[in-house]
Amino acid sequence: MDNPFAFEPGDISTQAAEIRKRVLKMNFGAGQGHTGADLSETDILAALYFRLLRYDRHNPENPGRDRFVLSKGHGVGGFYCTLMQAGLLDESLAGTYLGFDSRLPGHPVRQKTPFVEVNTGALGHGLAIGVGMALAAKKQNLEYKVYVLTGDGELQEGSNWEAAMTAQQYKLDNLIWIIDRNGLQLADFTENINALEPLDRKLEAFGMELHQADGNDPEALVRTIESLEKNDRPKAILARTTKGCGVSFIENQPAWHHKIPTENELSQAMEELSC
Amino acid sequence: MLETAVKQDLRDVMVDSLVDAARKDKNIAVLVSDSTSTAKIAPFKEQFPDRLINVGIAEQGLVGTAAGMALGGFVSVTANAACFLVHRANEQVKNDICYSNTNVKLMGLNAGVCYGALASTHHAIDDVSIMRGFGNIQIFAPCDGVEARQIFDYAFNYEGPVYIRMDSAKLPDLHDDSYSFCPGHPDVIRQGEDITILAMGSTVHEAVAAGRLLDIKGIRAQVVSLPSIRPLERDVLAQVLSKTARAITVEEHSRHGGIGSLVCETIAEKGINCRVKRLGFAEGRFAVSGPRDQMRKYIGIDAEGVAATAVDMCSE
Repeated sequence: MDNPFAFEPGDISTQAAEIRKRVLKMNFGAGQGHTGADLSETDILAALYFRLLRYDRHNPENPGRDRFVLSKGHGVGGFYCTLMQAGLLDESLAGTYLGFDSRLPGHPVRQKTPFVEVNTGALGHGLAIGVGMALAAKKQNLEYKVYVLTGDGELQEGSNWEAAMTAQQYKLDNLIWIIDRNGLQLADFTENINALEPLDRKLEAFGMELHQADGNDPEALVRTIESLEKNDRPKAILARTTKGCGVSFIENQPAWHHKIPTENELSQAMEELSC
Repeated sequence: MLETAVKQDLRDVMVDSLVDAARKDKNIAVLVSDSTSTAKIAPFKEQFPDRLINVGIAEQGLVGTAAGMALGGFVSVTANAACFLVHRANEQVKNDICYSNTNVKLMGLNAGVCYGALASTHHAIDDVSIMRGFGNIQIFAPCDGVEARQIFDYAFNYEGPVYIRMDSAKLPDLHDDSYSFCPGHPDVIRQGEDITILAMGSTVHEAVAAGRLLDIKGIRAQVVSLPSIRPLERDVLAQVLSKTARAITVEEHSRHGGIGSLVCETIAEKGINCRVKRLGFAEGRFAVSGPRDQMRKYIGIDAEGVAATAVDMCSE
């Protein structure tokens, strides 16, 4: 199974810009959403869905598909918009985002939305689930890979480190843990709250094969992930990102964790993203 | 049905059932959290070493990994002490198992106050109430090896989340081979018209013994086991409760949220004329540390305590 798009790495940014526009319009329409997180992760999601992930667009549950777990479930707006941009989700649903019993709830729900593998939202759950999926693939001699996207503030949850130890113990080189390292969490910068640095050394100490990349450069992400080898070591991609990336007045502003643009801000953001 | 001399450790029965299931289904996997001896899992490990995953002392990882394996096509069976499963990994049970509706079977080993003297960190006297709070997980509490075997066989074939409350004691068989476990059904162990004694898991044995003590006093007790807490056919339970005007619930569990609550809810909702006395741990109380038999006596869920409560109720 292949990626249905297999875009050239240099062409993915265009898709990411379109995803960002969708995010801003959708959040504006809903009057809610985690705008900063959605924009932080967009390039990672674009790289996955337009190049890296192998999936069957007509059968979201194809057993041979690569798995993607959005552990930072609050970034679900960016995820839905990526699915819409890839034609995997009806874009008319955007108007129902966060509505009563919507197919697009405020955190991923697999019973509601195709291509959602597991229900997340409480932080620190996705990595262990990804470990289980990767273990299942190994036990069944299946070739699929498991991608888990965590936030960075989320790494303050100890459960991640339990899962990392298990990934190392069971030599899960089919597990690719991507960390959206934008440096911000709900209340403030991570380093002001409960510092994560030196995160690279922590990840390596927990047995990860560490790679670092600009998480807002899809080309760099693709190059990094496509160079990974089967060598019994689980992979961690420390993806340096900017929260709110792509819109000048949202970037790196703690208040934009779940702030919604006004009409004027939306117009300005659309202009910036169209440049 | 009468108590026989055969005693079985439910964990041995669990492992037998797992081995048989694993022989038939290559996608059965067992996950433990350093709890290989707690689960008595060695016979399974010998035969299926690749299908036993030990994540170490990491219960959140245990449950999350079990969910991930289930999403990868496995029937994941976790086996560790109920206290650590239910309390440490509570959010994983809620989200990764129940909310995500993954095919995971959670074995709550040594539940209640099996760990007696090891004190409240090791007791699980609220596991049923916690599991009842989650929407979709099936909840069972076998009272002997015969019943346990049928519950395990059912659970490993059922598609969806299951919690099984297990005891560490060797329990005498209350059932013979003619018994057929039916999910949702109360199990009437003996008939009686003066009072109904309902119990869960190993306290069913206290209830049966209390029934015998009451015979001597001329009180005929109906004894009912509730092995299937969810699903539960409340109409059937209501019929059982309608047979007597008094009922006692007996559980090594908090009085709140366990079978005491379940019975009261059923009586209230069905409009049954039946007075209830709930025996178990009082609201807001931890269990005392110490030998289990003394603890049971202290809170009145041993056979003598149950019988004394029944005598009081019948003389009012």
